[in-house]
Amino acid sequence: MTEKKRRWAMVIDLRKCVGCNACTVSCKIENNVPEGVYRTWVKEIEKGDYPQVTRFRLPRLCNHCDNAPCLAACPVQATYRTEDGAILIDYDHCIGCKYCMAACPYDARFINPVRKTAEKCTFCYHRVEEGLLPACVTTCVGGARVFGNINDPESLVAKLVANNPVQVLKPEMNTQPYVFYIGADQNIMGARYDNLEKGEQ
Amino acid sequence: MVSNVTYLANVVHPVQLGILISIYFFYTGLSAGSFVLSSLGTVFGIQKYKPIAKAGVIMAVALLAIAPLHLIGDLEQPQRFYTLFFRLNPHSAISYGTFLLTLYPLNSLIYGWFLFRRDFATGAQELTGFRRVLYKFLSFGKMDLSKAALAKDAKIAKFLGTLGVPLALMVHGYTGFILADIQARALWHTGLMPLIFLMSAMVSGTGLLILVLMFSQRFLSPERTITPERKSLLLDIAQLMMWFIVVDATLMVIDFIMLYFDNVAGHAAAKLFLYGSHRTMFLGVEVGLGLLIPFIITLLPKTRKSLGWIGFASVLTLIGVIAMRINFVIGGQQIPLSADTLNPYTADPKHLIMIGIFALLEITILYLAFRFLPVYGLPKEKVQTEL
Ligand code: SF4
Ligand code: SF4
Repeated sequence: MTEKKRRWAMVIDLRKCVGCNACTVSCKIENNVPEGVYRTWVKEIEKGDYPQVTRFRLPRLCNHCDNAPCLAACPVQATYRTEDGAILIDYDHCIGCKYCMAACPYDARFINPVRKTAEKCTFCYHRVEEGLLPACVTTCVGGARVFGNINDPESLVAKLVANNPVQVLKPEMNTQPYVFYIGADQNIMGARYDNLEKGEQ
Repeated sequence: MVSNVTYLANVVHPVQLGILISIYFFYTGLSAGSFVLSSLGTVFGIQKYKPIAKAGVIMAVALLAIAPLHLIGDLEQPQRFYTLFFRLNPHSAISYGTFLLTLYPLNSLIYGWFLFRRDFATGAQELTGFRRVLYKFLSFGKMDLSKAALAKDAKIAKFLGTLGVPLALMVHGYTGFILADIQARALWHTGLMPLIFLMSAMVSGTGLLILVLMFSQRFLSPERTITPERKSLLLDIAQLMMWFIVVDATLMVIDFIMLYFDNVAGHAAAKLFLYGSHRTMFLGVEVGLGLLIPFIITLLPKTRKSLGWIGFASVLTLIGVIAMRINFVIGGQQIPLSADTLNPYTADPKHLIMIGIFALLEITILYLAFRFLPVYGLPKEKVQTEL
């Protein structure tokens, strides 16, 4: 059998996420992310009525989609895909049109207020290229975040995806995300529309 | 669906494409609309619309000259805008737009020149003073006024106009596709979007044309008056506008019925516009002021024969279409993708200032063009004493 091409992927085992936001912080430090914007963050909800109530968390980042709408949208090819599947942005060529931000179904992108270009999670590509793990993965206190080559059957990500029921966000968008969740609650995976204007009323 | 869910932590994702993009869509719409109206006489051969061909093309060019400034102004790296011309992405609507936004005004400009050449050549020979010099220059030395030469002009103008109509439709259709291509945004992702944009372009293009015609005929034409023939043509154009309103409103109704029965995000969008916080902007301004009242004005026998009322209706259509652009562009991004409340939008004061400056520039260009170009034929002898 010919060896399959390397494809980076992340599995987030939500049973192990404690919602400490260590990943959020380490990402900020590693990638020098300015105030007010985030490459990764942890969404948190509470479900149920007392005493039957539980908190659920969902670490969020770019899904490095296989069929990435942001890649299709970028008019100057500043957004591109690496050999091993990561979606990156060429900051020297991004014109800051923000079309990719409208196109991403996951709110993964933002404008870096200092650099004035689009930005998002890179899977810490600069680290991965050197054989290191993404910063969020190394700091994850509960060991919830796992990173690796999903096309290598021996990798932990491949095993986790093979042996667990996994979910991706908004599969109906046909984006084919490469961030997989174990134990995600459907109430946290998308938006909620039942009371959109509560802030304004 | 479980209802007792509370959001505790999430990141706010403000709306990205804001007021500058909305107003950009407004300008391109106006331009496309005026071009199509200009072509009614020259391309489709409807004689009664011949007198507005020149006015229409001046508006089409002048509006499209300013429209892209809004786009460039909205870039975070405006100095890199030229890379749009060679770093292409065949999947991106914006890449196509770059070329449409270049070809269409160029084509309109050349088409316009062939409509004006006869007047330039005549003026260069018969007038004196400043206009003589200007027209001589603008005729680029092509002074032949023989029947054959004029017939050739008309033929070329017809050809370029014929090319211009699909270009105009594409220029505005593509802006619809910019939104329609985005599957993530429930309000945008519909095949109706390009059509809705085209029809609202026709409505607003007609509205602005009526206003510009009224003003320029009264104050800038050689006759300085709205002659009875001009009045009847204006009323006639207003009737066209009424039909554009009918089609536009029909598309809008279809769109919202579809949206109402769409998935959860689409349904939420429909509710937001029909009875949520956006109902005033949508039902009140866009539909009520922008479509319904102008429709009634252009329908009732009494008001549809009055220039005052028609002018008022035209102003309303412009307000309505501006509201439509804002509702769709900004409103479409307010429907959350990962949050439980509307995504916030605050207009950047810098952007508002830009819009003001561009609008002033636009008005100046239109004023100068209608003041100094022979849109309504050449000035009579009076000019010779004047200059
Ligand atoms: S999550 Fe968004 S930004 Fe990341 S690859 Fe997918 S579409 Fe692009
Ligand atoms: S903001 Fe930058 S990365 Fe995004 S679509 Fe525009 S040019 Fe491409």
